[in-house]
Amino acid sequence: MLPVASLLILVPLIFAVVTFFTKTKELAAGLGFLGSLATLGLTLYAYLNFDSSTAAMQFYESVSWIPFLGVNYSVGIDGISMPLILLNAIVIPFLILFTWKEDMEAPNRFYGLILTMQAAVIGVFVALDFVVFYIFWELTLVPLFFIVNIWGGEKRAHASYKFFIYTHVASLVMLLGIFGLFYTALQQTGVATFDIRELVAQFQFFESGLVRDGIFLAILFGFLAKLPTFPFHSWLPDAYTEAPTAGSVLFILLKIGGYGLFRISLPMLPNTGNPDMMIMMLGLLGSFSILYGALVALRQRDLKRMIAYSSLSHMGYVTLGSAGLVALSVSGAMFQQFSHGLIMSIMFMSAGAIQTSTGTRIINELGGLAKKMPMLTVAMMVGFMASLGLPGLTGFIAEFLVLTFSFVNLPGFVLLALLAIVITAGYHLWAMQRAMFGVYNEKLGDVRDINSLQVFSMAVIALLVLYFGLNPSPVLNMMIENSEAIVSLVAAVGV
Amino acid sequence: MDEIMYLAPEIVLVATGLVVLLAGVFLSPQSKNVLGYLATLGILASGILTVNSFELLTMGSFQVGYAIFSETLSIDALSQFFKLVFLAVALIVSIASIKYTENSDHTEEFYTLVLFATFGMMIVASANDLILLFCAFELASLATFALAGFEKQNARSLEGAMKYFIIGSVSAALMLFGLSFVYGATGTTSISLIAKNPGLLIGNPIGLVAIVLLTAGFGFKMALVPFHMWAPDTYQGSPSVVSALLAAGSKKMGFVAAFRVFIIALAALQPDWQFMFALLAVVTMTFGNVVAVAQTSVKRMLAYSSLAQAGYIAMAFAVMTPVALGGGIMYTLAHAFMKAGAFIAAAAVVWMVASEKKGNLDIPDHLDSFRGLGKRMPLAALCMTVFVFALAGIPPTAGFMAKFVLFSSTIQAGMTWLAVIAILNSALSLFYYARLVKYMYFLPPEGEKVSVPFPYAAALLVAVAGVLAMGLWPEPFVELAMKAAMVLV
Repeated sequence: MLPVASLLILVPLIFAVVTFFTKTKELAAGLGFLGSLATLGLTLYAYLNFDSSTAAMQFYESVSWIPFLGVNYSVGIDGISMPLILLNAIVIPFLILFTWKEDMEAPNRFYGLILTMQAAVIGVFVALDFVVFYIFWELTLVPLFFIVNIWGGEKRAHASYKFFIYTHVASLVMLLGIFGLFYTALQQTGVATFDIRELVAQFQFFESGLVRDGIFLAILFGFLAKLPTFPFHSWLPDAYTEAPTAGSVLFILLKIGGYGLFRISLPMLPNTGNPDMMIMMLGLLGSFSILYGALVALRQRDLKRMIAYSSLSHMGYVTLGSAGLVALSVSGAMFQQFSHGLIMSIMFMSAGAIQTSTGTRIINELGGLAKKMPMLTVAMMVGFMASLGLPGLTGFIAEFLVLTFSFVNLPGFVLLALLAIVITAGYHLWAMQRAMFGVYNEKLGDVRDINSLQVFSMAVIALLVLYFGLNPSPVLNMMIENSEAIVSLVAAVGV
Repeated sequence: MDEIMYLAPEIVLVATGLVVLLAGVFLSPQSKNVLGYLATLGILASGILTVNSFELLTMGSFQVGYAIFSETLSIDALSQFFKLVFLAVALIVSIASIKYTENSDHTEEFYTLVLFATFGMMIVASANDLILLFCAFELASLATFALAGFEKQNARSLEGAMKYFIIGSVSAALMLFGLSFVYGATGTTSISLIAKNPGLLIGNPIGLVAIVLLTAGFGFKMALVPFHMWAPDTYQGSPSVVSALLAAGSKKMGFVAAFRVFIIALAALQPDWQFMFALLAVVTMTFGNVVAVAQTSVKRMLAYSSLAQAGYIAMAFAVMTPVALGGGIMYTLAHAFMKAGAFIAAAAVVWMVASEKKGNLDIPDHLDSFRGLGKRMPLAALCMTVFVFALAGIPPTAGFMAKFVLFSSTIQAGMTWLAVIAILNSALSLFYYARLVKYMYFLPPEGEKVSVPFPYAAALLVAVAGVLAMGLWPEPFVELAMKAAMVLV
């Protein structure tokens, strides 16, 4: 058996280092593509050898790293991480193809950073030790900071700083929570360990309610800010908008906030001082994000900014589904992460392509693009339709699961979210209609359609959205066992 | 004779210093460059002997160590760890100086001073006697005073050196004053004997006076606020390689001296100084970070960031658990690599600006000189990025690991408020570190591509290797630091 989990980090990292030293654009893009293909190959290997019928950790490796503090380099893959690794591994090769023909400065750094990012994100998904987890978690900041700041839009400096410092502070608060968890467990058991599953299990034996809630909230804050959830989202619109297309897509693939929710916060939740209140809080934040994001998206003039707020709105389903605390609502939340990654990739690619062709992203300045850019319009349609939740596409599956099954425990919040569905359909269709259809805006001059590589990349992702929308089981099956394991933990405590 | 063996690293160092000084007399100006290599070799040899001494120590009783020369010197894990810190800094500095002293008429003096300063620091690390400690402290200080003013034609350098010298002399007097009080109260200058008679200090008002005076004395070298006034001017004015020695090396001498005097000798008065250090730590880290944000001179910014870092290390005195002390000790090594490396990177930029003779020569290390450094000097920019991210505590670097151990132990000790302040500070520091990265990578370059001179490049790579080794493979460093901490508790 290959040590897949480690290789999934190492392979992109090694390719990244090599890519940094290339001189020509072709070589950089080629090596980047090769590296991401190798990662995809490894991921498919892991997927084919993955046993969906168990919630247990697979491909587990553990090596002692800092014995003094009980830190181990331990990694593994289970149903929570596998879909997200798959998402990253699938999208990144096509992301590289999508940017292949773009003119850019320092392509070696660009592709090197994309692969570094991939290694860091996968590192978070496979880490089973808090220190390893935190290291990769923080490492994701660095490539994005550079990507936004070097290749981003006009206000890139502001956006990248805000993102870097905002999420760094949130991570530090999370680190405080991790320390609290570690030392309280050390006090109780006398064993120093940073093992995630061990510490999460230990949490139920903690005595003081105040300490419990403090630790839980500190860690949760790190996840919610990264997710992001209203009201910790203010870095998102700027960062998503100012990032270059590839950067926006990488932000979308950065599903570590939601992942932390499933891996760490949900199993801890039933053992907090006041679980009911925590569930209410999560439900409220989730449904409010859905509604708020949709409302703000409705009045955006900038296409990319609209997509950014739509992303905030859709990530609300992850929080809401988590708070639903029924196996299927949690699975829905996990599926939303996967589906959202695919759909938003298409949407950001569309927005990027429109900007490259026309030089603007302001919706009112566009119009009738469908005539000039038919290929893009088709791909974009799929993305927009999936995003507004059209049945048969992945977005529908996720939202359906979340809304239906969260209703059991949180009927009020679900109603709030249902309200947003109408608005969501509204802003998507309205934007589509104004930008792509109607009379062609002659001021735009002669615009060209996306190139064949871009068509290919977007088509593949669009087909996946369709495929998993019609047949979600290959992905959903991986999640179910783990969702049930989480929910049975909650049931055991009797929330 | 056996006792001499334990001083082999120091002897090699002094011998190298003397050889360098003598050889300088006979060598022609063109061939003086060889002295830099000679000094580097001497430091390397001394380092190998120091590492070797760890094995000697583990054969015996490691924690207790060996008291030699009538118990005036203590060879233990703490002393050897700090000797490694000093030697690491000296190595980086001496390698980089090969470029700096290229056209100097005083090459031999420069290296001899660096070697003697390092020797003084190493003796401070071992000192088990207040008088010896003071003498070694002054040996190191005098050598660094001279080094700080090495550029006699440069008014800024002279001003910095003058401030350093005057404040340094006053603080030395205060320190001596404090030490005399300790002697007066206990009747001995031996640190281990003072520690054995806590009764003489507890409840004795003389002890409190001594604490105040000693804090001022050591606080100067550690550059803790409010004893830091000299540091920004001196670090900025000194030749960058000397700034590296001061910030990364001689600052640590202040820490190890304070460890020996406060934690071992004055352990009985711990309740009196513990809270004071907590306060000093908070004030120092906050002041350093806040002021660093406003700096446009990179060396000055590094100086204030160095204050902030000293504030973090001072937390070890406030927390006083074995893990916290270990974390503080580990932090000194991490900081040595990060800060020395950052100053050497600044040295490379200053050299570049000077060799082009354009731009604002008055402040050659102005942020503007770093514009587009990623394109102009890719290696220096990359190394600088590693150093500043390490200083900010981004993994996987030495800075992250050291902060990790130190901050987490603060929480363990129940001083969550202190950890929160430190963490907020750490977040604030990211702001000005990231700004430097912005200048290097996001702004267009103003000038041609320049290749980093070999000595600077070599020194930078040594420092980067140290920073990454501690971040990726921290176990041996944590273990050594913890063993060193066991000497203190």
